[in-house]
Amino acid sequence: MCHPVWAPGGTSARPEARNSVNRSGRWLVPFSLLATLAVIVLAVGNGSVYVPPADILATFGKAVRGEALVGSEVIVWQMRLPRVLTAALVGGALGLAGAIYQGVFRNPLADPYLLGTASGAGFGATLVAAVGASVPLLAKLGAPLTAFLFGLATVLLVAALARDGASLPTVRLILAGVVVGSIFTAATSFLMVVSREQAAGMLARLLGGFGFSGWPDVWTLLAFTLPALLLAGAFARALDLLQLGEEGAALLGLPVEAVKYLMLGVATLTTAAAVSVAGIIGFVGLIVPHAVRLALGPGHRRLLPLAVVWGAGFMVLADLLARNVAGPVEVPVGIVTAVVGGPFFLLLLKGRGQGGAA
Amino acid sequence: MRRVLQTLALLTALLLGTALAAGFPVTVVDDLQREVTINAAPQRIIAMVPSHTETVCALSACHLLVGVDNWSNWPESVAELPHLGDAFAPDLEALVALQPDLVLVDEYSGLHEPLEALGVTVYAGTPQTFDETLEFFAQLGVMLDRRTEAALLTGRVQGEIEGVAAVVAGVTGPTVFLELDPTPYSAGPNSFMGTLLTMAGGVNVLDDTLGDFPQVDPEYVVAADPQVILLTDAPFGVTAADVAARPGWGGISAVQAGNVVELDAVTVDMLSRAGPRLGQAVLALARILHPALF
Repeated sequence: MCHPVWAPGGTSARPEARNSVNRSGRWLVPFSLLATLAVIVLAVGNGSVYVPPADILATFGKAVRGEALVGSEVIVWQMRLPRVLTAALVGGALGLAGAIYQGVFRNPLADPYLLGTASGAGFGATLVAAVGASVPLLAKLGAPLTAFLFGLATVLLVAALARDGASLPTVRLILAGVVVGSIFTAATSFLMVVSREQAAGMLARLLGGFGFSGWPDVWTLLAFTLPALLLAGAFARALDLLQLGEEGAALLGLPVEAVKYLMLGVATLTTAAAVSVAGIIGFVGLIVPHAVRLALGPGHRRLLPLAVVWGAGFMVLADLLARNVAGPVEVPVGIVTAVVGGPFFLLLLKGRGQGGAA
Repeated sequence: MRRVLQTLALLTALLLGTALAAGFPVTVVDDLQREVTINAAPQRIIAMVPSHTETVCALSACHLLVGVDNWSNWPESVAELPHLGDAFAPDLEALVALQPDLVLVDEYSGLHEPLEALGVTVYAGTPQTFDETLEFFAQLGVMLDRRTEAALLTGRVQGEIEGVAAVVAGVTGPTVFLELDPTPYSAGPNSFMGTLLTMAGGVNVLDDTLGDFPQVDPEYVVAADPQVILLTDAPFGVTAADVAARPGWGGISAVQAGNVVELDAVTVDMLSRAGPRLGQAVLALARILHPALF
């Protein structure tokens, strides 16, 4: 009788597949993949040392065959390629996290940064660096998982603080996120002040950037981001249903609370992985899902993977700018994303104020 | 010949110093172009920058200090003095309560305004270069009525520098990457630390177009392949092992040859303070860079 319309991964009813925005989306997917790949190739070739494409390919060949690398080959294989891939994965992780947060909170201004999750996760990662040596439990958990626990606690706390009866007003959500985030940022600063011995390394990590990203970072990120994307993808339809409102989604058979917390967990896990590897980098999780939504509408089946792809492309491009604008002097990548993301955010805010959308 | 000239210059300075030891008031111009008039030899001095503390003491005026900033730690006797907070965020009430008749602050601290308003005599300025450091010795000598001591100090520091220069003359290299923090920020050849490195016979792998304190792309360091890496961030937990573990850094000559040097806190203080120990800082660097010569 009450057969649920919704099932995880279900491919039933896809009304959005028939509208025109999504038809143009068909070529948008391969185009985005190609564009991001092109940006990645560009980023591997350019840096403080220019390496011609042929040499890059030759280096890849040597590295795969396990031959010894010399000179600029070391730079390409051990530094630049992992750096670019790390940037791509961090951008993808933040884009995915932002898309999920925005879907779960039905709020276009939700993102890992504004919700305070990134600051909470940053505190967790710093805590491991500060006292990990003397607290075996923390050392065993490691930076990414501790960051995840603190990030999760943050997002739950922020949601609880912002809730007004059954609704979750944007202003309250952002205010609560900013305040809780500030508290964690202050706590992180305190940790750094009291552990002066390691302060330099802790600060360097938290400020964000890919200067010393290596292959281990790539593997860590892959291990977190790939399952997160698959899991979120399986629940794309559920996220779509959530947009009808929680009551509407529940009427269609969606286990609303379970889906919400699962998705928050997934988004926070990817945020934590990104923060523990690359520090706190703002705005990516905010603007990327927006841009995707503007281009092909709100359906999560396409939104989620494209948020990953665009996030990856955007971050690689931002890092490429960061290390080449004044190269070989580095501009913090957070400055690049903020310069692009800040105005975008203000435009959104203004648009919302006038149109009252969402 | 150079020695003779130097000795002559020193003697002249000494004689002049004595001859010029006129009475107060004296007026000097600080780094903010303020005219600072001192009416009588200061008896209660507060130094809010570590290099100022060191210079005051090097002019045999340590006993006149009544307070210092939190980072001042040399000479050891200043540990006994009240520590009044950070140079940029001092405990103003405690500072004023000590009733200083001269407060030495950094020109960027903004402290001269509130202190001036309270009627306290303030000199605002921290030397940023080698030449400015010697000028500051002389200026402080005037303010504290320690002109002779200032001339002697200048002569001593110049002697130390020239001594090192004589030993490393004709030697090229080694090439050096001077790491300030693990992001990595570095010091360019025109920065204070960069000048000391050159005086010690080191060749900075950064060129001056990158600015004085650039955050460099780690690839640049690998490509430059320095023979020595000096870790001024070692007192803050960065180790040679950390450097070797950085992606791509394992093959750098300095790492391969075991020439990643973890500088101790005392050396880092000497290197980063434009004060009376800069000659010793150059000597310490020269010992590290040219172990065979010293």
